[in-house]
Amino acid sequence: MTTFSIAQSLDQALQALADGARPVAGGTDLVVGSRQGKAPLPDTVIAIDRLDELAGISLSDDQLRIGAMVTHAQLMVDPIIAEHFSAIADAAALVGSPSTRNVGTLGGNVMNGSPAMDTGAPLIVLGATAELQTTSGNRQVTMEELWVSPGKTSANADELCVALNMPARPANSGSAYVRLEYRRAMEIAVVGAAASVTLDDGGMVTDARVALTAVAATILAVDLGDALAGKPIDEASLAAVAKIASETATPISDLRATDRYRRHTVGVMARRAVEAAGRRAGGETIAIPVNRTLGIGASQ
Amino acid sequence: MAITDTPRFVRADGPDKVTGSGRYVADLTLTGMLTAKLRYAGIAHARIIKIDVSAAKAIPGVFSVLTADDVPDLRYSPVVPDRHLFAKDTVRFEGEVIAAVAAINAEVAQQAADAVVFEYEELPIVADLEAALAPGAPLVHEDWESYDVTGDTPRDRNVATFSSITKGTKEGVDAALAAADIVVKQRYVADGSHAAPIEPRGVVAQWEGNKVTIWTSTQVPFDARNGVCETLQMPSNRVRIIVPHLGGGFGGKCGFHFEAHIAALAKASKRPVKLVFSREEEFLAPDRRRESMIIDLETGLNADGTIAARRGWVAVENGAYTADSAFFPQLAAMHVAGPYKIPFVHIDSSLVYTNHQPSGSVRAPTAPQGCWACETHTDELAKAVGMDSVAFRKLNAIDTGDEGVVGQVYGEIGLQQCLDTATEMAGYGQDLPDDEAIGVALGWWPSFPGASGAFVRLDADGAGQIVTGAQECGTGAVMTLRQLAADELGMDPEDFEIIYQDTGVAPYDTGATGSQTLLNNGRAVVAASEQIAEQLKDHAANMLEAAAGDIVLANGTAHVAGSPDKSVSIAELAEVAAGGQMLIGKGSPVPPEYPEIPGMNCVGDQGVAAWAAPQFSCHAVRVRLDRDTGVARVLAIACAHDSGTIINEIAAHGQVEGGVLMGIGQALTEGTVYGEDGRQQNPALLEYKLQTFADAPPISTAFIQIATAEAGPRGAKGLAEAPNVPTAAAISNALAKIVGQPIRQLPMTAERVWEATLSIADDSGETA
Repeated sequence: MTTFSIAQSLDQALQALADGARPVAGGTDLVVGSRQGKAPLPDTVIAIDRLDELAGISLSDDQLRIGAMVTHAQLMVDPIIAEHFSAIADAAALVGSPSTRNVGTLGGNVMNGSPAMDTGAPLIVLGATAELQTTSGNRQVTMEELWVSPGKTSANADELCVALNMPARPANSGSAYVRLEYRRAMEIAVVGAAASVTLDDGGMVTDARVALTAVAATILAVDLGDALAGKPIDEASLAAVAKIASETATPISDLRATDRYRRHTVGVMARRAVEAAGRRAGGETIAIPVNRTLGIGASQ
Repeated sequence: MAITDTPRFVRADGPDKVTGSGRYVADLTLTGMLTAKLRYAGIAHARIIKIDVSAAKAIPGVFSVLTADDVPDLRYSPVVPDRHLFAKDTVRFEGEVIAAVAAINAEVAQQAADAVVFEYEELPIVADLEAALAPGAPLVHEDWESYDVTGDTPRDRNVATFSSITKGTKEGVDAALAAADIVVKQRYVADGSHAAPIEPRGVVAQWEGNKVTIWTSTQVPFDARNGVCETLQMPSNRVRIIVPHLGGGFGGKCGFHFEAHIAALAKASKRPVKLVFSREEEFLAPDRRRESMIIDLETGLNADGTIAARRGWVAVENGAYTADSAFFPQLAAMHVAGPYKIPFVHIDSSLVYTNHQPSGSVRAPTAPQGCWACETHTDELAKAVGMDSVAFRKLNAIDTGDEGVVGQVYGEIGLQQCLDTATEMAGYGQDLPDDEAIGVALGWWPSFPGASGAFVRLDADGAGQIVTGAQECGTGAVMTLRQLAADELGMDPEDFEIIYQDTGVAPYDTGATGSQTLLNNGRAVVAASEQIAEQLKDHAANMLEAAAGDIVLANGTAHVAGSPDKSVSIAELAEVAAGGQMLIGKGSPVPPEYPEIPGMNCVGDQGVAAWAAPQFSCHAVRVRLDRDTGVARVLAIACAHDSGTIINEIAAHGQVEGGVLMGIGQALTEGTVYGEDGRQQNPALLEYKLQTFADAPPISTAFIQIATAEAGPRGAKGLAEAPNVPTAAAISNALAKIVGQPIRQLPMTAERVWEATLSIADDSGETA
């Protein structure tokens, strides 16, 4: 028998976690997983969906804070996210269906730790950290430190993810997320890629990051080496990105794709993500999500 | 025609479904009702050593646990009776039922189902169609020779049924192929797929004395009733099947499934019992999914582009048992032969047992795959002879008065008009970007005339009631019956309510299968309404002092022809009639005749070579391919259909649009994946990828309306299955143009398309 209670305050929620409860917000992973027999419902469940401390998106001079309870539906239309942290909006807009996006939260998605999660690669390229809180304090953990293996994070059982934080964006920056999908709704990433690009006034890349979805045990940050730094985004540099992404990936074969196909297409997604991020960095508006605006699988 | 130009059509079941007030089987609750769970084999092929239910029965809250020992020991199924209600001696697919449990709630029922001890010895799995046909292959049914088979049905080991279609002679085909200027030979392989209705099925059974009432989500209430009668050995008047709202079927809910299991549980438990499937069960357990197929085609062409001869070999997967699939080989043969003028044709076609889920009639069984192979092949033929693929079809497709692939001479048909119309609507021939192309395919499908009955009555206030045996599965065909009755009686469709889906009340109808509802039950409703019209005219003639032959029924009144003022309302007439001979019409007209083909020499004829009121279609689809990933997107599709007279244009458009969307899924994303263990790997909607509304392209539809003789009311033919037939084929031909070669595997998944683009690159000496 499962005991369900609703936290009236953050302190109460943290105390419940310290006492062994598991948190529930949208329930899109917890409840569905239980019904599918993946994992039984925990004995004690504490609902955190009414906590104001976990809500809201706020941008200060040097940092963006996204409350853990912010839903995908909010992320896909929030003007700050769409303009400055576009990759997150691109990803949120592709998640599941309107009903999943309305109840599924960013914090829940992050802590579920799936290597196929769409918002994960954007968080990595945007330099996000997860803010984990307990009754005795809190700490910031990078996404690479947080995700350990499919479904497993480095967070302790009494830690609650209360927010995702990331640095404010430098001038002339853009980001994008694209994914390979076989249909336009109710889909999960076959592979995906996020990119963040910053350009100098001459259009040369000063900073670039790429992360990959569903090609390893966790979301994978790509070491681009000198593939982009100091270079323009052109056919040669994009081809180099695609090659590095394909070589970095360690995909598996499953029902959705073979490893060979994943390795190839993740390169395609990486180059498309970098290209879209570069265009955004150059001031172009590409409507959210890139997948729809640029056509099939984000081709142009 | 735009929707706004068409007559208003309010579906009687529409508001209930849209507002949520409609009730489905899963919504029913009866006093004292128990929950049923089925225990499945969970293994593809095994000899049963022991099934022990004692531990399950001992669980508190369990009312009954049944196995093969608890029901009459007999085999059932039409044509090839090869299965039992519960596994006996052998299990032949993972979804086979070995035991059924009724318990106080779902948790206890599941606990009991899990507690059934099942000991078995594994047997070799028959999975591959060609391997199943090889000499010495393990048998799916070791006792196949002892089965009590109906009719002229050639069988052999793992071949459940065999049919051939032949035009000319086999030797004539060989000679014509040898003499042909060009011969194209190819293999096409289609995976199995699913009907995937929105509503997972439910069954509720309740006994009163020796009679049982069963509420069930079936498309064919009378088949379901007959299945219960056959397997539990009961007369038909003690089994009543009622279907509440049905959440779609697409053929997956044709046939007889779990009604007898639940009736037997309810009887043993002395309580009402309810079964509701999970989505996974809906994928795994029913003996209904779309058959996988292997199709070999060899076609000879003359230098002028006419087709000289075709030889074909088809293997249709039957799965573990023969549901309604006995006629599939012959139907498949017709589809791979196609609606073409070919002087010499010979197709051999086998229904092959495997240890997979049984196949059964899913929306146009064998046709989307057969048409896909035939029409992909047709484009390959056009290319081989250097002709445009549409011009090639113009030259070779049948037209009014032509002789088809089994020698049937067709009356007035609109196939050539379909080809002209669809290609024009699609803008075929226009310049397109090099990642786009328009693919064209022709399709055909028979109509199935049969016995069907309905009552129509007008009560004292003039309100109309249609009582029909027909089953509404979402197509709107039953809803259109109101329009037919209203037109016959000069009334408004909304003056009529419909009582349907109750075998205890209504006369027989085949059910929502074979696109036959309007064709057959429409005639029944018209006939019943005609009887009432005669009565109304007699009453009106008396009251208006005119001859009955001069009475016109229109706008809710009866008036004298030429004197609209001399009238009486139908409500008044109904009130008069209610005091004496009541207004009750019954319709059960003689069905249209099937054509006879003199000299037809098809082996294993299952009655689907000579087609009554054949339907024709052409789909022209514009596709864009993302070459780097193989992901295809359907940008637009133009559909032209000859389904005879269209009775209700809005409903007809809905059928085409739904069929197209289902066809896109079959073309690109829907396919069952089996593991080495013979079990389905993707029995879930995340991994079995249906199309969604977000994927739907603009669909334009035109109807080539030819009032067809020996067909349905006003010359209507069927329509529900036809739009499903040529969609995958048209997409295939678009993809072949973009890629440079066909994808000869169905579904044409992104990865398969990508592999094809790589092999083209390899062939042209480029690196991948």
